[in-house]
Amino acid sequence: MTAVFPYPTIFGDVELRVMSVSVDNRELPYAMISATDRAVALHQAGRGAWERARLRLSVTFPEAEISSGPWSDVVFLAVLSEKATNARTTAVLSRSADGTMQGTIELDSVAHLRRATLGVSVVATVEGVAGRLVGSATQDWYVDLKASTPARQREIDIVEVDFKEGEHEWLRPYKESAWIVETTGDVPTVYLNTGAIEGLMVALRGSGGSPAERMLRDLAATQIAQDAWTAMFHTAVSDLDTDEDGTPMLPKGWRESVLRSMLPDVLPGRQPTDALYEIVERRTKGYGWAEIQTGVQFAAGRRSRATRNLTNAVRSVQNLEGAGGAR
Amino acid sequence: MEHPGEEFGPWLARQLNRMDMSQSDLAVRLGLTRAAVSAWVNGRAEPREETKRALAEVFGTNPALVDSRTSDVASGRPLRWHHRTAHADGGREYGNAAAFAFDADMSVLAREATQNALDERCDVGAPVRVHYTLHELTGEHLSSFLAALQWDELRPHYDRAASAEQKVSRSLRAALNELESRNSLVLLRVDDFNANGLTGPEYHDGRFAAVVRRQLDSHKQSGGRAGGSYGLGKATLWAASRFGLVLINSTLSEPHEGRTERRVIGRLDLPWRQVDGEAFAGPAWFGEPDTDPAHKDVSRSWWADEETVRSLHLDRRTSEPGTSFLVVGAHDASGDAEDLRDLHDKLVRSLGDGFWAAMVGGVAAGPLLEARVSTLRDGQVVVPEERVDPYTRHPALSRALQAHLDGHTVDCLTSEDQVARAEVPLIVTPLKGRGRARDKGREHLAVLLLTPAADADERHSRVVCMRGNRMTITEHRPRELPLGTMPFQAVLLAGYATDRDGEDVALAEEFLRASEPPEHDRWDRTEELTSLYERGAVSRLKEFRSDVDKAVRALVGRRETKRAGGPAALRELLTWDAPNAPTRRTQAFPTVRGVSAHVVESGAWSVTVEVKLPAADDPWRLTPVAKFDVRSGGRPVVGWAALEADEDCRVENGDLVVEAGVRKAVFRGVTNPATHPVRSGYARLVVEVQKARGGSV
Repeated sequence: MTAVFPYPTIFGDVELRVMSVSVDNRELPYAMISATDRAVALHQAGRGAWERARLRLSVTFPEAEISSGPWSDVVFLAVLSEKATNARTTAVLSRSADGTMQGTIELDSVAHLRRATLGVSVVATVEGVAGRLVGSATQDWYVDLKASTPARQREIDIVEVDFKEGEHEWLRPYKESAWIVETTGDVPTVYLNTGAIEGLMVALRGSGGSPAERMLRDLAATQIAQDAWTAMFHTAVSDLDTDEDGTPMLPKGWRESVLRSMLPDVLPGRQPTDALYEIVERRTKGYGWAEIQTGVQFAAGRRSRATRNLTNAVRSVQNLEGAGGAR
Repeated sequence: MEHPGEEFGPWLARQLNRMDMSQSDLAVRLGLTRAAVSAWVNGRAEPREETKRALAEVFGTNPALVDSRTSDVASGRPLRWHHRTAHADGGREYGNAAAFAFDADMSVLAREATQNALDERCDVGAPVRVHYTLHELTGEHLSSFLAALQWDELRPHYDRAASAEQKVSRSLRAALNELESRNSLVLLRVDDFNANGLTGPEYHDGRFAAVVRRQLDSHKQSGGRAGGSYGLGKATLWAASRFGLVLINSTLSEPHEGRTERRVIGRLDLPWRQVDGEAFAGPAWFGEPDTDPAHKDVSRSWWADEETVRSLHLDRRTSEPGTSFLVVGAHDASGDAEDLRDLHDKLVRSLGDGFWAAMVGGVAAGPLLEARVSTLRDGQVVVPEERVDPYTRHPALSRALQAHLDGHTVDCLTSEDQVARAEVPLIVTPLKGRGRARDKGREHLAVLLLTPAADADERHSRVVCMRGNRMTITEHRPRELPLGTMPFQAVLLAGYATDRDGEDVALAEEFLRASEPPEHDRWDRTEELTSLYERGAVSRLKEFRSDVDKAVRALVGRRETKRAGGPAALRELLTWDAPNAPTRRTQAFPTVRGVSAHVVESGAWSVTVEVKLPAADDPWRLTPVAKFDVRSGGRPVVGWAALEADEDCRVENGDLVVEAGVRKAVFRGVTNPATHPVRSGYARLVVEVQKARGGSV
């Protein structure tokens, strides 16, 4: 879904790169920047309290198009923002000798919480109106304050902890259960209880092993994953913003990824927004909500490889029995 | 005078040969004894001034020439082809085996010919300049070139050689047929400037004989820095010619026979053949019949006039030393370059790939090479002269080398445009019989440069290894790099490529060259290595490679590979965005493919929307919805003033109906400005096609 503008905008690509980062005037190793993942990791072991990071940026743009186009007073702005804190910092970039736009932008650690988004806006005067957005970076960067590896979050967090005696006070009530899925935060998290079932963690962590061990590991993983996907889906479809006509909007972040991935299995053959509309309708009006559960279960099961792992389990049990019978 | 002429003795001897005059004849004409003439010829004496004048009269020339001796007296003898007669033992060669050592590929030719030019750099303060010119001849231009080449004289040899059943004969036959049917011929000229040129005598050791007369003679004298060592590279010139024919014009860096400019000869490589009852061995030479009794009638190189070199397409524009090779009937046997433009591009590409390093210069050392390619047809420019720019093909690698030459490298990367430098030790094993007991050898410190890869790099995360005059030997893929390592480009400079001097540098250069096969494309076990060096040489190379890997790992930085905690078995089930996630199929629902829109005078949006639909059994009923796009919160819906079908659909009650099986539909719409919450000029518009709500089809 791309929006159309009532005035001419830049067609060519505007690409942003983070060249280097310094934290409190110390240069960060380049390994903390990933150009392929478009991510910067600011967390370094051994230094928790820092004040300010400076990011040196370089932006490439379609030079011929901009110089010959209907835009004047073209300004390149780097924009650093974080939704959670509502922080927004901008910096004007200037033309450098090699034809790119360059500049630095500062990130104040007090203004940010976890992950800031870094983008570029191209602003110009068009048809006599100043300050119009005529282009933006094709892809944003993430500046992660908590991560020590520059990578996009592609996975759920998994925390292994003793519910009964570990650091997380709030897990105490769940000390009987082997795992808990939590989907309230920025990143969904699975807490595995190291103190609940003796030997389960060992079996989960291992690789290879006897057929029985493999069977246990696969089935346990499938069971946990099934719970996690189901919980993530329900969290993702709740509390949605809607347009004026009541159409729900796709959420951002992991919720979007989860919905885009699961919706075609939950309600096949529909656009994500249509499917989302249907689900919200049924939940609020109450009809057909139960049928949706079947779809959710199916979608979660696919992602947890339930069928495959169960098939393997059945086979290995048959094999074990077969071997026992021959003895 | 710029360069002194030839010694009197050899000059006089040649003049007598050329004029078929004996020493006694001359003595009689001058009224002197034969012993006096003999003393001149043997260099024991030189005639007095008045005798020289008399000599000039006998030779029918002016005395100044006898004084300067910068050319021969008699005008050139007629040029002709001399074919080597067949071996007396009956042996036959059906082609030049050396030419089969390589693929007859333009890129191989560019690599070998340019490397040879680099190895012959004359003034080490300036780069060698190579210029590749593709020139297609047709019609008039073609016939006058063929006439200058005495094609009619060669034709019977080609016909006979092509009629045999050998591999070379078959491709020769195809080439002759094509020349006939298309009446066009592609010439490829390889010029080098600021190179030594083909110096030395006609038949004895020297650069000239190594290239023109001999096979597998690597006459490399550039202080052990040379790239090649097998003497195979020149064969690629002949291999690149469909007719096995190469013409040569060389300007020498040191005079031969008192002259430097326009030493010209042609060489032809054909398989064994029989013409007019006489058998010929293979090669033939185009030149002046030699008058020296030892090589009577062999075609030798001649000092051509400007007119002749022009007619042979061999004129060199400047008098700078260097050589021009003209490959007659140039082709690219790999088959991926069909027309002139392809060939041109392939040459530019190959030169950029093979010699980007030699073309980069910095503060510490200038570029070693400049390369250009141009393409003509019948003297008219087809592709204008193009200078090969190393930064176009290999931006990151060139930047790495430049930073090294400018002394701007760092120990540890903190920025994308930096270049990190590290030293990697190579232990050079002693030569057999030279080392003391338990001598492990000399340590040479190779230089490793590493920088983040550029976006445009097709290949990355490899180490380009070079030695000598920055000749790329091999691309090494470091092992055991942590997952998620940034893409990088790295250069390893060893031997003379380090731009250092010293005993260890020379030893390392020699050691590495010995470890290369004829293709010069890896450092590994070779016969030369194991026979010349003490035991352990191969292990030292292995250690060198693993030290390179280690240095790369240190420079790219330790990055934690563990991204999230938890057991792997569980983690792999809980990734989103995974490229092979189970639902990444083609989208099974209608999508808006493209919207073209503009604001009309009334303030309404006028849109044309293309919708893509999946295959379906039932018709689609869709509701087009227009909304203003806002930064946050709900988007206001805008009403339609008009909605009409354009392609493969119809409009019913504000819904779009598309029949089953239709995959693409287009509709037009105009919004109702009265429903706009803000002026249309201040908002962005999105159009969606949602499933019709309420009623059913």
